[in-house]
Amino acid sequence: QTVLRSSDTHPDGYPTVEAVKYFGELVKERTGGRYAVEVYHSAQLGEEKDTIEQVRSGVIELNRVSMAPFNGTVKESIVPALPYLFRSEDHMHKVMDGAIGDQIKKAFEGAGLVVLAYYDAGSRSFYNKQKPITSVADMKGLKFRVIQSDIFVDMVAALGANATPMPYGEVYSAIETGVIDGAENNFPSYDTAKHFEVAKNYSLDEHTILPEVFVMNKAAFDKLTPEDQEIFRQAAKDSVAKQRELWTAKVNESRAKVEAAGAKITTPDKQGFIDAMKPVYEKHVTDPILKKMVEDVRAVQ
Amino acid sequence: MDMMILFGVFTLLMLIGTPIAFCLGVASFATVLYLGLPPLVIFQRLNSGMSVFSLLAIPFFIYAGDLMVRGGIAQKIVAFAASLVGHVRGGLGQVNIVTATLFGGISGSAVAEAAAVGGLMIPQMKERGYGADYAVNVTSMAALIALMLPPSHNMIIYSISAGGKISIADLFTAGIVPGLLYAAALMVTAYFVARSRGYPTEAFPGFARVGRFLLISTPGLLLIGIIFGGVRSGVFTATESSCIAVLYALAVTVFVYRQMSWQDFVHATFGAVRTTAMVLLIIGMAAAFSWLMAFLKVPAALIDWMNTISENPIIVLLLINVLMLFLGTFMDMGPTIIICTPIFLPVAMAYGVDPVHFGVIMILNFGIGLNTPPVGAVQFVACAVGKISVWEAMRSIWPFYLAGLIVLGLVTYVPALSLWLPAVFKG
Amino acid sequence: MPISLVKTGRALSRLSTLSLWLAGAGLVAMTAIVAWQVFCRYVLNDSPSWTEPGAVMLMSWFIFLGAAVGVRENYHLGFDVLLYVVPKGGKKWLRMISDIVALAFGIGMIWYGIELVRLTWNTTLPSLQISGGWSYVPLVAGGVLISLFALERIVLRLAGEPIDDLLDEMPPAEVAAELDTANVKA
Ligand code: NA
Ligand code: NA
Repeated sequence: QTVLRSSDTHPDGYPTVEAVKYFGELVKERTGGRYAVEVYHSAQLGEEKDTIEQVRSGVIELNRVSMAPFNGTVKESIVPALPYLFRSEDHMHKVMDGAIGDQIKKAFEGAGLVVLAYYDAGSRSFYNKQKPITSVADMKGLKFRVIQSDIFVDMVAALGANATPMPYGEVYSAIETGVIDGAENNFPSYDTAKHFEVAKNYSLDEHTILPEVFVMNKAAFDKLTPEDQEIFRQAAKDSVAKQRELWTAKVNESRAKVEAAGAKITTPDKQGFIDAMKPVYEKHVTDPILKKMVEDVRAVQ
Repeated sequence: MDMMILFGVFTLLMLIGTPIAFCLGVASFATVLYLGLPPLVIFQRLNSGMSVFSLLAIPFFIYAGDLMVRGGIAQKIVAFAASLVGHVRGGLGQVNIVTATLFGGISGSAVAEAAAVGGLMIPQMKERGYGADYAVNVTSMAALIALMLPPSHNMIIYSISAGGKISIADLFTAGIVPGLLYAAALMVTAYFVARSRGYPTEAFPGFARVGRFLLISTPGLLLIGIIFGGVRSGVFTATESSCIAVLYALAVTVFVYRQMSWQDFVHATFGAVRTTAMVLLIIGMAAAFSWLMAFLKVPAALIDWMNTISENPIIVLLLINVLMLFLGTFMDMGPTIIICTPIFLPVAMAYGVDPVHFGVIMILNFGIGLNTPPVGAVQFVACAVGKISVWEAMRSIWPFYLAGLIVLGLVTYVPALSLWLPAVFKG
Repeated sequence: MPISLVKTGRALSRLSTLSLWLAGAGLVAMTAIVAWQVFCRYVLNDSPSWTEPGAVMLMSWFIFLGAAVGVRENYHLGFDVLLYVVPKGGKKWLRMISDIVALAFGIGMIWYGIELVRLTWNTTLPSLQISGGWSYVPLVAGGVLISLFALERIVLRLAGEPIDDLLDEMPPAEVAAELDTANVKA
């Protein structure tokens, strides 16, 4: 029996962790026990940037990571990370399950990785301790912690707010004490990081609806027999349905929990936010391939 | 077998005196070779284990401490403490402890504190007829207060070892009550030991002089407010506050006290480089080591083993404390925190211990280990400054050990000592 | 001592001093960068995104340089109980093993550091806009220095130089720097 090792930064029981475990069960069952998968959750093997290097160099075989850390490596991965590009989760599913999703998968092979599946990570929105955001004008002057990504920094600037880079672990006390006004994330993270305790205004601007990827080391994948490769691909596909179901349940649960704890959820007028993105697209979408992809995404109905 | 290679190579190399950093690195290297994994992962963990923004606080707090010692801040605090408590039984011993408490509020390194306070106090104490062993033991035990009171870079190491999810501001706040309790316990012990040995007291210099010394030492003492107040009120993050401490210490010593020469500055900088390079290399190597512990699922095995012994949280905590005291005897604080946190924290949490509370227990526990031979950095410094051997110090350190262990027991079994103050700040 | 050894020793000594100065400059620069970050947030109300990764990269340079100097100056913390009890002849060989271990690890740092640089060369670090490979260059540089300094000790010992007697007279490793400070003020 060959044991394949997979990393995840989320804790045990999280939808992505459970989905990869489910994938492992299917693979074990369908290969008659020749392959098994062991999931190392809670960032036991390192943060995403590190585990990406580990899976690329073959230290581990599998990895569930978000797409953002690939922006500097696989340029096509920038497209789904562009702010306000997807109109809804449904739109994102159609794009990623279709030809554009396949184009991105192909691009990952250049980095030595086979994309087995795209998983849901919901939509990211801003939350802050000062006031509910109803229009883009309300963003002016607020300080937000964002992830280390130039697109995010530029997006926040384009909205009239200030981006403050900061380690994730310092965010809670930074909001609490007022070093920053807020941050941005999906409902489950807003909940589990307890940020709702200190930043009560969650504004559903849904700036990104960025899926996560489940990847396999390409050399390890190529070593499989064609039949096994098919089993792996199908098991991954089957795990997607499971992950989306778990994810929806998780989002609803987290949303109910933060609302019960007094978080105020508003839905701002998104058009102002979308209009403000022009300079961001002009700066980051200069490559003809990316330009074409953006048009294709917008054309998907 | 794989676990045996990891721990076996580590122990073997450590016994022959190889620097701990290389013991950790080479043991991990050997295990990865045995497992047939690409060895590259060891060097990646080494690199990214030390490339963490929150870790910047370690060089900064150490640097600030070196600058404060070189630039005269420590001397002013001794003068103030001497005027304040010199007339209490055990006189200069009490001065030593109060100085350590005040200095501990602006410095996070017990080794630097033992050097600073010891360098100033031990010669004076010997001159005034105190036994060198008494002077050394008071110095080394009082130096541990720096670990408990904010700032404490060992608490930052703990927070990072726990995955960065524990609030550093909460840890800093949690250490205050236990730190002051520990200081009080030492003062009582110093009082009784001094009485039995018939040590002198100093004359009380009058409130006017106390006020004058307070005024002189105020620019240095203000750093307590700047660091703690700054972190708590949101002027800056814990990491940023450490940088501000460096700038402030530099400003006070150069412009207010005017004791910082270029030579002093260069020496303080090199001192900070040496100490932090040593500490952070160990942290990086330990990141590789703990990656393998996670890979081999060592913590889970330990929890299973603990469960076979007892399921009673009181017994489990006692067991963890004994294990940690044992490890602290043989190892230095930073690496022990890094190695033990991923192992013991999940166990403690499984028995309902708050991670902030556990951090305080661990810091005090390994702090005591800094004063136990064969590996006790603080004790070595104090002995070297007092020019006595470790064995001479050991003969009369027992009352102080006892005080430390009593406080450790209180801190372990009364969570409110650690958790009450952070709760107050949260409102 | 052969003249070639003397010359190499002098060159390595200069290299070690240079590394220490560079590391010290790195520490000062790190302080300036983080101070700049605080200043920007409060005064300019705009935080630069390069300060955090920039300071972290400087930190890894200064750690690896300082750590390499530590190999030469012998200030790395070890558990040296056995060294106190074994006879002189045996001690020499225990130290020899430790130096070989350091040399081997230094070579590993070079070899796998280069591999990591190659693996990440085509990635871009956000905010800094330079190749991700630069994150691992300090690892390689540190490996080169550690190997050189460990090798120097091994060669000197094989040449019969009394370096272990010198090491015996040093105070316990990490205590030395702080003692220096204490003695100045006492
Ligand atoms: Na302190
Ligand atoms: Na000890």
